[in-house]
Amino acid sequence: MKERESDNILEKAVKAINDQQVPPGPPRELANSTITKLNEISSQTNTYSDGRRIRLIERIKVLNSITKVAAAAVLLIMIGYATGRLLSPKSPDIEQLRASLEPAIRNQLVDEMKQYLQLGLTNSYIQLKDDLSQQYRRDLNQFTAYTLVASGAAINQLLEELIESINTAQVQNRQWVAAALGEIELNRLKDNAQLSNAFVTFAAQTEDELVRNRQNMVQILSYAQPDSLVPNRFTDPNNLN
Amino acid sequence: MIDWQTIIEKYGPAVWQTSYRLLGNRADAADCFQETFVSALEFSRRQPIKNFSALLMRLATTRAIDQLRKRFHRSDRTVASADWIAVPSTNPGPVQTAQQQELIERLRESLIKLPLPEAQVFCMRYLNDMSYRQIAKELGIKTNTAGVLLHRARAKLRKSFEVSTKEKNEVVL
Repeated sequence: MKERESDNILEKAVKAINDQQVPPGPPRELANSTITKLNEISSQTNTYSDGRRIRLIERIKVLNSITKVAAAAVLLIMIGYATGRLLSPKSPDIEQLRASLEPAIRNQLVDEMKQYLQLGLTNSYIQLKDDLSQQYRRDLNQFTAYTLVASGAAINQLLEELIESINTAQVQNRQWVAAALGEIELNRLKDNAQLSNAFVTFAAQTEDELVRNRQNMVQILSYAQPDSLVPNRFTDPNNLN
Repeated sequence: MIDWQTIIEKYGPAVWQTSYRLLGNRADAADCFQETFVSALEFSRRQPIKNFSALLMRLATTRAIDQLRKRFHRSDRTVASADWIAVPSTNPGPVQTAQQQELIERLRESLIKLPLPEAQVFCMRYLNDMSYRQIAKELGIKTNTAGVLLHRARAKLRKSFEVSTKEKNEVVL
């Protein structure tokens, strides 16, 4: 499981490095400076001309001609020295020569030192600038990463708190609803009981009343009417018989 | 006589891409670019070059890994100085970009801990998309050996990622 996960991360990393935006390049100045550098190096050491080594015979030939030239040069120098020794009126005054040359050499040395120092300062400045910009970027990146992590943690905490409060509110609501339902049920049962009692009472009263009425009716029906109150059928004008 | 101008025009972009992908910023990539071609010149003095493309890829990878090692030895930082200016604004978002940069940086950091042949084989396979045979030919090893080196590199990188993830989790906790 872990292996698969890290394999996934590795693949993601490879994909990310392959997908990252590469600025179009190389820059023209870089290509030019590289070509210049390569040409300089090529010209410095001329060990190869067209991709193969210089043969031994060619080397010997070159060496021979160099030897000849060197011998001629030595000869010329010797002749020149001898001529100079013979023709020179007297040896030059070393002190005077030194006095005349010293200020010029000193000035030249001072100029060269100035140039050298200037160059050194420029290089140091450039290097310092690069270092500082790198440091700045590094710090900025670090700060961004820390900020992202911190904000992520803060957001997570807030979300957890929100979820907890929502859960608490839901539980409370549920409790309220359950209590209300319980109350309603109790009321319903109470009402039901009262209603049934009322019905029973009503039924009992109705039955009593009915019994009483029946008794009254029976009494009325069984009541003996006096004869005098019985109508005469002979004298009754309505009786046709 | 080698025409370096033509060589640079032809293979320069690939060398630049390899250098930039591994190093992640212009200045280092430019140094690596120059060093690669100077090394190629020195190589050409010792023996004739048959395959410029493969040689330059190998040299660029090696120089870039050297540079990475120097960079990580200079400072033990955890987040690299990525060239943020080069990141285009059409990217999905700062968080995702930061995560990708972090992944890339972790891969770079892990790569420099590998032995050079393993790192070379890994980069040539996954960054330059070279086949086992091409890698073996360029490094002067057998194809099977290239496979073994790649397998080892993957295993070590996996382990390194596991460790760094664990460390990161501990830091977050």
